[in-house]
This record gives sequence, structure tokens and C-alpha cells, in this order.
Amino acid sequence: MLEIKPIFNALRRSKVSTFLLLIEIAITLAIVSVSAFVIVDRINYLQQETGYPEESLLHFSVLTFGDVDRMQQIELDEEMLRNIPGVENAVFMQDVPLSGSGSASSFDSHPDPDMENNKGIRAAYTAGDENMIDTLGVNLIAGRDFRADEVKFGLSSENRPTVVVASKAFVDEMFPEGDGLGKTVYFGRSPIKIIGIVEQMKGPWLQDSRSDNVVIFPYVETRSFDHYVVRTKPEERTAIKRQIEELMLANYDKRVINPARGFDEAKAEYNAGDILMTRMLMVIIVVLVLITIVGIFGLTLFNINKRTKQIGTRRALGARKSDIIKYFLVENAMVCIAGLGAGALGAVYLGTLLLEEYSLPALDNSFILYTALFVLAISLLSVLIPANRAANISPSIATRSI
Amino acid sequence: MFFHYVDLAWRSFKRTPVVSVLMVLAIAIGIGITMTSLSVYHMMSMDPIPHKSSKLYAVQLDTMDDGEEWWTEDNLPTQITYKDAMFLNDVDLPYRKIASTRTGFTVHMNSSEVKPFLESARVTGNEFFAMFDLEFLYGNAWSKEQYQSAAPVVVLSESINEKLFGGEDSVGKQVYLNDEVFQVVGVIKEWDIHTKYYDLNNGSFNSPEDLFIPLSLIKAKELTTWGNTNGWKYQEINSFQDRLNSELLWVQFWVELNNEQEKQAFSEYLTNYLAEQGTLGRFEREKTEFSLRNVNEWMEYNNVVSEDNRLLVGLSFLFLTVCLVNILALLLAKFLRRAPEVGVRRALGASKSHVFAQHLVEVSMLGFFGGVVGIGIAQLGLWGVRSTYSYFSALATMDLSMLFAAPMIAIVSCLIAGAIPAWLVCKTQPAIYLKTQ
Amino acid sequence: MLSMKNISKVYQTEKVRTHALRDFDLQVNEGEFIAVTGPSGSGKTTFLNIAGMLEPYTSGEYMLDDVNVGTLSDNQRADLRNQKIGFIFQGFNLIPDLNLYENVEVPLRYRGIKTAERKRRIEECLEKVGLGSRAKHLPQQLSGGQQQRVAIARALAGQPRFLLADEPTGNLDSLMARQVMELLEEINRDGATIVMVTHDPELARRAPRNIQVVDGQLADFTLYQSREKEIITPSIKPIDLSNNPVEA
Repeated sequence: MLEIKPIFNALRRSKVSTFLLLIEIAITLAIVSVSAFVIVDRINYLQQETGYPEESLLHFSVLTFGDVDRMQQIELDEEMLRNIPGVENAVFMQDVPLSGSGSASSFDSHPDPDMENNKGIRAAYTAGDENMIDTLGVNLIAGRDFRADEVKFGLSSENRPTVVVASKAFVDEMFPEGDGLGKTVYFGRSPIKIIGIVEQMKGPWLQDSRSDNVVIFPYVETRSFDHYVVRTKPEERTAIKRQIEELMLANYDKRVINPARGFDEAKAEYNAGDILMTRMLMVIIVVLVLITIVGIFGLTLFNINKRTKQIGTRRALGARKSDIIKYFLVENAMVCIAGLGAGALGAVYLGTLLLEEYSLPALDNSFILYTALFVLAISLLSVLIPANRAANISPSIATRSI
Repeated sequence: MFFHYVDLAWRSFKRTPVVSVLMVLAIAIGIGITMTSLSVYHMMSMDPIPHKSSKLYAVQLDTMDDGEEWWTEDNLPTQITYKDAMFLNDVDLPYRKIASTRTGFTVHMNSSEVKPFLESARVTGNEFFAMFDLEFLYGNAWSKEQYQSAAPVVVLSESINEKLFGGEDSVGKQVYLNDEVFQVVGVIKEWDIHTKYYDLNNGSFNSPEDLFIPLSLIKAKELTTWGNTNGWKYQEINSFQDRLNSELLWVQFWVELNNEQEKQAFSEYLTNYLAEQGTLGRFEREKTEFSLRNVNEWMEYNNVVSEDNRLLVGLSFLFLTVCLVNILALLLAKFLRRAPEVGVRRALGASKSHVFAQHLVEVSMLGFFGGVVGIGIAQLGLWGVRSTYSYFSALATMDLSMLFAAPMIAIVSCLIAGAIPAWLVCKTQPAIYLKTQ
Repeated sequence: MLSMKNISKVYQTEKVRTHALRDFDLQVNEGEFIAVTGPSGSGKTTFLNIAGMLEPYTSGEYMLDDVNVGTLSDNQRADLRNQKIGFIFQGFNLIPDLNLYENVEVPLRYRGIKTAERKRRIEECLEKVGLGSRAKHLPQQLSGGQQQRVAIARALAGQPRFLLADEPTGNLDSLMARQVMELLEEINRDGATIVMVTHDPELARRAPRNIQVVDGQLADFTLYQSREKEIITPSIKPIDLSNNPVEA
């Protein structure tokens, strides 16, 4: 068995190259573990469940300049949209989930929000008619959907919705006992009753800390933009998407139709920055690992070249090939472990820095551990080839004169 | 001597082509990755109006009750109410000050030639153009009279003028905004900014609006904002007038203050104004609070450079370090192998500084090559960024300073990495290499 | 011109102190041709390296043209070496990447001589060693004797007054060795002072003055004369080509 001490002494004699290897491994560990952590964090975010059948849903918006009764036009448009072959349902709605644009407000447990024991919970809200829940394709797990007679057309102080359907996340946050169904909350001091609970639906902003809190009102009201959501058979969505502008303009032409986008497409656009970040970090990790492999390979080769004679002498003195390979593996492992130790400290430091400076969660230390094992493995693998080469050095080198 | 060293460096490069190419590649990849993230960072953080950025101030007013919180670091809202904006815009003070907000229209020419399209517009005062250094290609801003009478007039951007009028002088012509006739009074040259610093609400890097209309039209035409509207308390809003009178925050406000005195005077004015508004019962505050931030402070305050980008810049510099460690190792091997030659040179009268300089020139050359190849890799990286995220299209490019910086960073980092092997090789005793034949 | 008094050189490693030179005294006068002999490891090369200011000495005083070498900085020593001293090595030590012309040019560049003057001197020196027509050749295209002549041309190019030669014929066959020796004698006649380390007694005998180094000390010349046969055992120095660090 090889002894550690002679290897250690040999390392001490080539301080610079040992130090370089150590630094390289340390930085690689720090970068890879932190990047991997961020990547996994982002992928979890990007792949989170939204509650919608994203591939079946289309959204487009309309800005009308012609002088037309828009409330009536909405009915006509909805009807036209529902009649397109392949369309399951369509609805006019206020703000569209996952679109990055919407409204949010605090909902109160008391009519007077200034009361001491009032509980105000923020939620995104939107509104539509009795087709909304069905069109969005969300899963109503308790209570009931809106009835047609509950939908208000045109809001005023006398004409207000009195019921809502809300996401489970919101209801549970408001009523932690889990008995929110049928309870009353206050929206701008007017009471509204929760008649239905949806298992899950995301609001307009995925990055919002309360992206799961959504409240849906039963009303139809025109603002500058009219938003429509259409649920199609997934395989027919692309074809339908292409027809929408033409069909809408055929229905009424004094308006501009914004191109329709799938929910998944809108989500990807909203998250483009995160997708970019994930990709860039992946590139960094892959290239870095390659560079580290080449670097370790090169450094070992350099060490072996310096010691060609010594290795030949060892071989002449009876060292087996496997002894030589083992020697370099143990040598590399020693430096590598020292480097990984330093790198782990660096990664922990980097992690705390990120936690303090950025809105990133605390670095999970298991990432450092797994990355360290990975780096150790690639390090040993990249030593194998040059070590093999060293083992093949002919013992006769030693007998040749200096 | 320098050119002689360059010649020697080139010979050395050719003698070990594989190692040399490896080194150049290592630098190039490091520089490529670093420059990709650094270029985006540079574009994001670039001063959009350098000669004036310290004179333009974004105005923030705290018109909320005590105890109300905002998501900014100092709890101040980033926009102000319509009524404050209009008052401060119209009050007679000796500085340029501008309220503005974003809206939008359907645009058409009442003909079948141009298909109606959507366009966002800036509703603002006529000094907006002078304040933000916008030059007129044709015509002028609207007059004070047109502002006061809320005349339907519009200033077009160069690109929209191209689209609607084929680029000709369109002053006096008509365009339909939401089916209403507007008269063109001016066309401005393309506003070339990467960061929409004057309104950071809806994406800091979106392009500026292409239509500009007088502020007085908000009330006259009941224009709704296409930007953000923030509220902090519940108010009954049943009409457009309710909205204008409300405490909703949806207007941006800028003031141009040329010196400390003006800043002081305006600050005093704001203090008094807020105190007076407080006594009217609009909000309950112990003391008045407001803030004036210049352009660069404003961008910093609004986190224009994303956290992700800062993180990437940091990681890519660490990455570059790894590349440099590799280069250092390769240089060490290469230079120490050459120690006998250095011994000869020393014997022939080369001083340590001659030897050191020779090797530094050699690493600089590697750095230069690496930098140049690195620019290529960075272009590839930036292309990748643009195709992943079209929103970054204008940002993911290298401007002249970055093109220049790439080889500079490469050379400097190579010099740092190369100094150690160069020092080791010039410090070795020449004698030992002369005899050992 | 060269004067060494009580020069000592101690190599110090962690555990061992080795005296390479011990109270070494030597006076060399202008125009002399001295052969330095001595057994392997006696300190000949150390002496030569110290004389050429390639190595620092541990104690004593070394004056070169009335300049105390011990007081000079590294850069000053390099300049002095460049101006006054020419080196000829056993292994020639030509720089393999540079052609003959460029090899000869090296010391002239460090002296900062203008291109035209450099050209004149290089051509003159190459002519002198009989290789004027091969200026563009690389060292490995030449025989050992030719390479050594280039090395001599390089040493001469700077017009040094002091030539230090370390076994200049050690890697050459006897014919070439004689040619090189004749060249050195001619140079000496032209006025340069030459100190040559050798262990070829025949060559040594051709030099007007012989000194011997034994155990790091200057041995008595007369003593050397009488004990010559006992000390010098003619041997062929092995030439190792496999471990040439310049080519490696």
C-alpha cells in the first residue's frame, strides 16, 4: 500500500502546481454547486403546476375604436368564438392569469379594515361570466360554480357582485381552519360570500409571493382592453389561433385584435428571464467542468513529465503499473479533497452572500456534497489517462544516463 | 526591444502550437462567457443620458398615511397621484418639470391603406422633449395654448412617421387615435435609449413610446393609463373624475435642477407643499417625506440591473479565474521547460527585467489572441441570449467600449496569471541550466 | 583585470552544507589565456559561474576591472556581463528556435545596439568562425563543431575583453576540438583574456597558464605539474543526449 507521507512530501516540493490544482478544484466546486442550486430552484419554479390546461388555452385582447355597444358585442363575440369547431368554451374576462398583467387587492375579514383584529389578505382578482370556471379548465373542489343570474353586467354602486369563487390557497390563508366555504370576506367594505373553491389556479404574476391567491368575481365590465380566453381541443389550438383575428374582425372591424397567445406561451414569455438564466448557468457548468477536466489532465501530465525519470526508476525497482497509477490517483485525491474542503467553504460563503444580497433561498448544503463527489469523480477520471501513460513509462529510462 | 519580444513570442507560440491553442482557447472561453454577461450588464447599467443624468431628478412623494408600507427600500411609492402631478406640473417655478404617464391608442388613417394597429403613447408636458434631449426632425412640441385648450395634437416618433407617412414631413397632417382626429405638430428623431429610465414601471428595457400627446388630454379624453396604477387605501371610484381625485398613484414626475441651490429650493417647496396637503386631510403623517433621485440613482433604486445578471457577472468572473488557473499551469510548464534558454540569455547579458518583459509580452500576446477569439465566443453567447429572450435584444450586444474591453480584460488577466510563471522563470539561477548537458 | 580574494561558495540545502569553493584566490591579468583543470566536482564550473557573475558567491571579494561585483545589482551585473564577458559552453547552448544570425544577435540586442551595426558585427563574427554563408540555418542543421563555432561567434559579437569557456571542446571529436582551440588562440592573440575550464590535459598544456582546482581551492601549479599523472585519469565524458533540457 502506498504511503501518504512520501506523496505529501512530493507535493510540497511542487507547491505551485499543487496549489493551482487545489484552487481550480475549489472554485469549480463553488461555482458548480451554487449554479446547480440556482438551476434546480429555477426549474422547480418554471415547472410548477399552474392549475390550468395551458396547452388548451388561448388568450387575446381587443381594443375597440369604433362606436359600438361593447357589452353587446362581447356577447356576440363569445357566441362566435364558441361556435368555432374545436373550441370547447370561450369567455370574456377582466384580467388573464399568467399574462403578467392584472389586478390585486387586499381582501378583509372585517367590513372596516382599520379594526384591530382585521385580517387583510392580498389576492389577485379577475371577473367573468358563468362560463369562466369551465373555460379556464380549473378544478372546482368545493361549493359550486356561478349561476347566470349572479353575473352582473356593468358595475355600479347598486350593481355589485355578492359572491366569489376563490382559490384554495387564498381561502385557506383567510380561514386557516379550512372552513372558508360559505364565509364572507370584504372587498372595499362590501361583503362577498365564497361560494366555490378551486383546487389551484395561479394569478397573473408567477413571481408574486402570493401567486396562488386568486379570487374570481361574476361580472362583465368593459375597460380599455377586452380580454378573451378560449379553451380548445389541444390539437386544434394552433389552427384556431391563426383564425381568430380574421373571425373577430369579420364580427366587427373597427377594432384592433392583439395576436392570440397560448397560456404556455405567455408563461414562457413571462419567464423568459428565468429560462435564460437557467440556460446560461447550464452552459457555465458544462464548459467549466470540461475546462476543469482538461486542466487537471494537463497538470497531471506536467507532473508526470517532470517525473518521468523518477517513475522509470520506480518501475526499475519493481513497482507495478498499478502502483504507479495508484500513486497518481492518491496524489490527485489528496489535492482534490483539500481543494474540495476549501471549495465547500467558498460555496457556503457564496451561499450566505446570495441569501443576503439576493432574493435566493438558502443554499442547500447537500448540493455542495453531491457536487463535491461529482468533482472528485471527474478529477480522478481525468487523472486516469495521464497516470496510465506514466505507468507505461519504460523502466529502461532510469538506466539511461543523465 | 518590444517588437523583438513580440517576434520571440510568436516563435514560441508556433513551437508548441497545441499548448498555445489550448491556452488561447481557455482565455477565449473565459473571456467569451465573461463578456456575454458583462455586455448585458454594461448595457443595463449604462447611463442613458450622461451629460444630464445628474440634473434630472425623479420625484417621489409620500402621500400615504403613516404606517403604510411600499415595496421600495425607503417605503416611498415610485409614482405620484394625478392631482399632485398636475399641480406640480402647472405651478410656476423656475425649473423644467414634467408629469407624464403611459397610455395607448388604436391608430388608423381612416383609409384601407394602413391597417389599424395598437400603439402606446406618452401623455406629458411640452417640455418633455427638451428635458430628455429629444430632437425634432419636423415641427415642434405643442404650444402652451394647445396644452391649455387640450387640443388633439400629437408628436410622432421617426419610426411611426415612416409607417404612417412614409417618412415625409407630416406636420399639419391628421392621424386617428381611437377614432378621433389628431393633428401632427412634430416628429422627433429616433429616441435611442436601451433603458426606459423615465418610466421604469412596465419593463425597464421596453422601447420608448412612439406617440406623445399633451397632458391636458387625460382629463379631456378620459384617458386610462397603460402603465401601473397603485393604491394604498380603499376609495370609492365610480367615475373618471373620482379616479382623478383619488389617491391612486399612476403618474411619473421629473424635474430638472441645474445646481444645489435649485435642488435646495425645490426641496423646500416640496416640503411646504406636502405639509399643506397634510393639513387638507389627504393623509395622516407625522412628517413630510419625499425624495429626489437623479437618473443613475433612480435606476439603481429601481434595480434596473437584475439580480440574475449581477449573479451571472460574478459567476463568470469566477469562471474566468478557473480559466486563468489553467493558463497559469500551462504557462508554468511551458516557461520552466524553457529555463535553459533563459539561462543562456542571462549568460549573454539579459537582465532579469529583460527576461521578465520577454515573457510578459508573450502572455500578453496570448491574452490578445484569447480576447479576440473571446469576442467571437461572446457574440455567439449574446446571440444565444437574444434568441432566448427577445426582450434583451437591444441589450445583448457589445458596444465599442465592450469590444475594446474584451482584449484588455483578456490581456490584464493573462498578465496577472502569467506574472507568476514569468517571475519564477526569471528568478531561476541561470548557472544550473548551462552545465547540465 | 580579474581578482578574487577569499571567495567561498556554500550550497545550503535543508540538511547539508556543501562547500563548492573555499577561500579561492586568483588574479587574472589582461591578455592572459588560462586553462583551469581539476577533477569532477572540484568546483571548476562554480568558479567559472562566479567569474561570469551567473551565480552569487557566499563570501569574499571579487573585483572585475576595479568594480566590486558584490556591490552590484542584478541588472548592473547583467549589463557588465553583456559588455565585458563572453561565454562558451560545453553544450554550445545555442537557442534552438533562432537561426545562426539571430543567435549571434542575442547579446547585441541586450546591449541595445542599432540594427545596422548589429548586422555588420554579426556578419563579421560569423565570417571569422567560417560560417558566414550559413547565417539563416538553424542550430540543429549544423555539426557539433560548427555549433560551437557559432557559440564562439556569439561570444565574440559583443567584443568582450574576457572570454569564459566551460569545456568548449568536451562534446567534440579531436579534430574539431583542435580547430576550436586554434580559434580561441587566435582570439587571445587579438587581445581577449580567456579563462577555459577543461579536463583535457593536452588542451590545457597549450594554454600559457594552467591552474588547478581541487576541493574548491586553487592548487599549487607546481604541485599540479608534478602530480599530473596521478590526478588526471584520461576518461571519456559521457554525452547524454536524452536529457538535454534545451531540446526537451
